[in-house]
Amino acid sequence: MKFFRKKESPIKSEDAQSDSRRSFLQKLGLGGVLVSLAGFSFQSVRSLIPNVLYEAPQKFKIGFPSSLSDGMTFLEERRIYVFKEGRSFYAISGECTHLGCTVKYTKLNQPKHVEVNGQKKEIPFEFHCPCHGSKFYSDGTNYAGPAPQPLHWFKMEVSPDDGQLIVHMEEEVDQNFRLTV
Amino acid sequence: MSFIASVKNIYHKLLWTWNPGSEKEAGDAIVKNLMLHWFPNKISKGSVSWKYSLWLGTISFVLFMILVFTGLVLMFLYVPSVERAYSSVKDIEFVVSFGWLLRAMHRIAAHLMVALVFLHMMRVFLTGAYKNGTSTDAKRPLNWIVGLVLLVLTLLLSFTGYLLPWDQLAYWAITVGTNIASSAPLIGKGTRFFLLGSNEINQNALIRFYVLHVFFLPMIVLFLFSYHMWRVRKDGGLAIVDREALEEKTEQTPPVKTKTYSLLGITSGATVHVQNTMVDEEKNSIPAVPNLTRRIWLVTLFTVLVVVVLSILFRAPLEAPANPSVTPNPAKAPWYFLWLQEIVTDTTINLGIITINGAFIGGIVLPAVLIMLAVWWPYRDSSSINSVGVWFAPERRRQNMVFIAICVMIIIFTIIGTYLRGPYWNFYFPWEDWPTMPVRF
Repeated sequence: MKFFRKKESPIKSEDAQSDSRRSFLQKLGLGGVLVSLAGFSFQSVRSLIPNVLYEAPQKFKIGFPSSLSDGMTFLEERRIYVFKEGRSFYAISGECTHLGCTVKYTKLNQPKHVEVNGQKKEIPFEFHCPCHGSKFYSDGTNYAGPAPQPLHWFKMEVSPDDGQLIVHMEEEVDQNFRLTV
Repeated sequence: MSFIASVKNIYHKLLWTWNPGSEKEAGDAIVKNLMLHWFPNKISKGSVSWKYSLWLGTISFVLFMILVFTGLVLMFLYVPSVERAYSSVKDIEFVVSFGWLLRAMHRIAAHLMVALVFLHMMRVFLTGAYKNGTSTDAKRPLNWIVGLVLLVLTLLLSFTGYLLPWDQLAYWAITVGTNIASSAPLIGKGTRFFLLGSNEINQNALIRFYVLHVFFLPMIVLFLFSYHMWRVRKDGGLAIVDREALEEKTEQTPPVKTKTYSLLGITSGATVHVQNTMVDEEKNSIPAVPNLTRRIWLVTLFTVLVVVVLSILFRAPLEAPANPSVTPNPAKAPWYFLWLQEIVTDTTINLGIITINGAFIGGIVLPAVLIMLAVWWPYRDSSSINSVGVWFAPERRRQNMVFIAICVMIIIFTIIGTYLRGPYWNFYFPWEDWPTMPVRF
């Protein structure tokens, strides 16, 4: 290893041991530098990965079933569309599955009749994404634009302590999910 | 004594202890001067000509310096916190004396820098300037790669700066940008988390992008720029110097020697000094001072003038404060990313059961392929030494056409994205009106 130019010692050492000792010490020094660099890099990068996140909880109450009006309610802070159809509730994410823009609820002038996954469905409204033009049916199924997946559906339940509705953003459900109160 | 003469007098008294008596002495003086030592003593006429290099690299650097100086002042006025960022930018725009001008200059210079660095790259390609010429130690392809890195850094600097006002534009640009990162398989989600320091866009993300913008990225640019310039010198100057040397050789047709007996034994080539590009000192080269320095000053003044005039004409916009629940419609990235946004829109692929997100193909795979192609190109380019440092060399016609085609595609996509896309990213011709959209749903 020639990391440093070796200076000819003015006194020729006849002892080969001194040479190997020198190279050992050089390796030791170099190793020390590398280890400390690695350690410093690790602690720097690790410190930038947060241990505590001060984010809004993934599971939250949205009010009493009776307080929601029939049809669609948009929870602005969480970008979630909550639907009330009589006594049943479901929640669809407003986050486009392409690049995360907020999709817009677009009421159709007259309902469309389409076949989604083999089921005939009436589509009274759609979700349109303003960023790249993805389009989703009322059940969140993507049918146009670059979005690769349907909009996510979140689990809902009634809080056992006070009867308010709870949305679980951490738990996805399929499109048949309905919470009946 | 006239005013200019007295300024010159003061300058000489402060910085010089003697007057150069000959060109050689003047040349030595350049090497000994702190500010001038990065120029050569003598420079070839082609290197300083306007029509060869178009001075695009110099203009890019002048723009960078404008960005550094305006940015330094803006740093005193801007507060990188989610609560105060927007109002501090609003104050810069409407309350601070000349704040609007500083901000507009910073923005215009940033836009121009993206354009100029790109044009500089085009110039280097079309003149075959990434090719090694007559000097044997040259590593021009390496310098081309350094230039590509500088181009990417310029885009990153623009992107990180875009976010700082914390308005709608900022918020949705970071949303789209970081989701592109998260669309990469396996490492995507982790990368996004590391970039933002969180799962959502909040204070952690703002401070990260701020530090990247004002310190980390500019430091890398400065370092790489120095290396870029140093390499230009070590690679024998601009590529046109090789061209001039070649022309001289054919003119003079010196006696051909295949070997030279030097003190160290036999070396190949005609002379021991063959490694240096030999340019006829008298005929083709002129002293760098004042011929080069004068033009640098002219380019600097002209660039500053253009930036100031454009800044007065086009004020920097400030949209509504960031609102995570309402995406503006249409939501557009800055113009130099619109070609990517256009591609991201068109490239989601359905392969039966698997759907590949367009964000991954258009946002990661395609740019990566383009960059790799550009890195690999100089090593593949096997055209002869005759096409170094010439615009549109006949020998490189086909490559030039491919390159221009790619650039034109990027420009076309940029124009479509900028002018022809309306609400919901629908296509509208310029003469068509956009429908009025409800702001909320």
